[in-house]
Amino acid sequence: MLASGTWGLGENLDKFFTLKEIKENIGALVTKGISVNPRKGNPPPRTFETPCGLINSIGIENPGIKEFKRNYLPKIKSYGVPVIVNLYGEEVEEFLELSQELKGEADGLELNISCPNVKKGGLFFSYDSKTVSKLVKKVREIWKDFLAVKLSPVGPVYEIAEICEKYGADTVVVANTYPALAVLEFKPLKVLQGGLSGPAIKPLTLRLVYDISKKIKISVIGCGGIVSGKDALEYLLCGAKAFQVGTANLIDPRAPIKIIKELRSLTDGLCSKSASC
Amino acid sequence: MYEAKIVINKKEAENIYLLGIEIPKNVLKKFQPGQFLKIKINQRMDPLIPRPFTVHAIEENVVYILYQIVGKGTKSLSKLRKGEILEFLGPLGKPFPKLKNYVICAGGIGIAGFGFLLQKSVNKKIFYSPEMIFYGAKTKEELVRLSFLKRFGIPVKISTDDGSKGYKGIVTDMIEEEFKKDPRTVLACGPKPMLKRVAEIGKKYKAKTYLVMETFLACGTGFCMGCVIPLKRKKHAHLCIDGPTFLAEEIDFEFLS
Repeated sequence: MLASGTWGLGENLDKFFTLKEIKENIGALVTKGISVNPRKGNPPPRTFETPCGLINSIGIENPGIKEFKRNYLPKIKSYGVPVIVNLYGEEVEEFLELSQELKGEADGLELNISCPNVKKGGLFFSYDSKTVSKLVKKVREIWKDFLAVKLSPVGPVYEIAEICEKYGADTVVVANTYPALAVLEFKPLKVLQGGLSGPAIKPLTLRLVYDISKKIKISVIGCGGIVSGKDALEYLLCGAKAFQVGTANLIDPRAPIKIIKELRSLTDGLCSKSASC
Repeated sequence: MYEAKIVINKKEAENIYLLGIEIPKNVLKKFQPGQFLKIKINQRMDPLIPRPFTVHAIEENVVYILYQIVGKGTKSLSKLRKGEILEFLGPLGKPFPKLKNYVICAGGIGIAGFGFLLQKSVNKKIFYSPEMIFYGAKTKEELVRLSFLKRFGIPVKISTDDGSKGYKGIVTDMIEEEFKKDPRTVLACGPKPMLKRVAEIGKKYKAKTYLVMETFLACGTGFCMGCVIPLKRKKHAHLCIDGPTFLAEEIDFEFLS
């Protein structure tokens, strides 16, 4: 799967892949975070490179659900693979409105719970298991199709994963970026706060996937620093049933094809060595 | 990304290098002046993100990039030698606007992208030659590729901060002097304070002003929406797909980092 926020709004995807390549190599497209109203996003700078990683603070720039449905979703659907819309809300009601708007329009939803809850003074949903319970339960009442929750790697992660299972999510995506900070200027101090992604976080998220997949029965989708077939295989061996590629798309737009090819050759090798294959 | 072999990676001045890479002809044909490519040193996780570079010149099947060491990425690049392989993706971004009766203003390494424009405007088929090139640097040692620039027979007006060559002072002072007599469209690339000053001069003398912008850039393909250029309009622009060249009057300098 292509991870949310790492392939724009789908306008340019066909510049780098043929439709055949998309169908043969990409299991699903997870869209950029979509909110009820349009969001201009954060002022620059929005990205900063760290050793083996990238901090981003885009600010969920998106056209809002109405324009997204009108001007972007048709093209994304035309790629011919399942479309999962990532939802961004700052209160439970926004998620519900978005779910309602997307009924019959998308194949699945991915709830981004790494957002501040304005009704709770900006406390992140991912820190508040009570609100996540309510969120998943209420979205499930509206949305009968595939429902994923993208967990934050910080906060009561294991508890939140169990809540997602209890209230009917089909899967948890483990995990979003890690809260991080970069110093841009020393004096006066200027910093960039954002989410860290890339190979730097892979061992951390791999551990979460390993542990969470043992705790819950619903499937786990691994997401964190996958840039090679070997990385993807490690996630699968550690309990993930599928994986998302994110930062690698920013390095090379054709990275997903390369990763799948490498994974196929690695798994072919595994099978030939195993008596059960 | 495509693989490319390095044919030259030569020091032109302190911290300024000229890199030449062999690129397949069918890819090379697509490049227009003002566009850029991103370069990744093969297989490296650090630096992780490919770095963007404007095309300085194209000769035969070689794309030349003129770059300055400013950080980890360019430092690593400067260590590569002839014969080594790197990966690139391009062309990316939009070409320069097709201008007539205009001048170029370059500050420091900002000169890099204009070489290709000069090459492409020789036959005046798509791009036209500038009437004058204003090129400023800190010292005469940092003025690079002068003999190449002079090849095109266009007046090159030089300035250095320390007066070691040409006019002593900043390049925008020369532009202002010129515009007092004859304001024209200007296409500028250089450090942010220079661009800001060019925008002010353009406004003062009612000269159409285009600025080649720079910002942190990650994907270069419109995927991440990281390279935002704040505009006075409601929506931000993204350098990699809407730029890198913008009309100065549209840019909101207040929010530019």
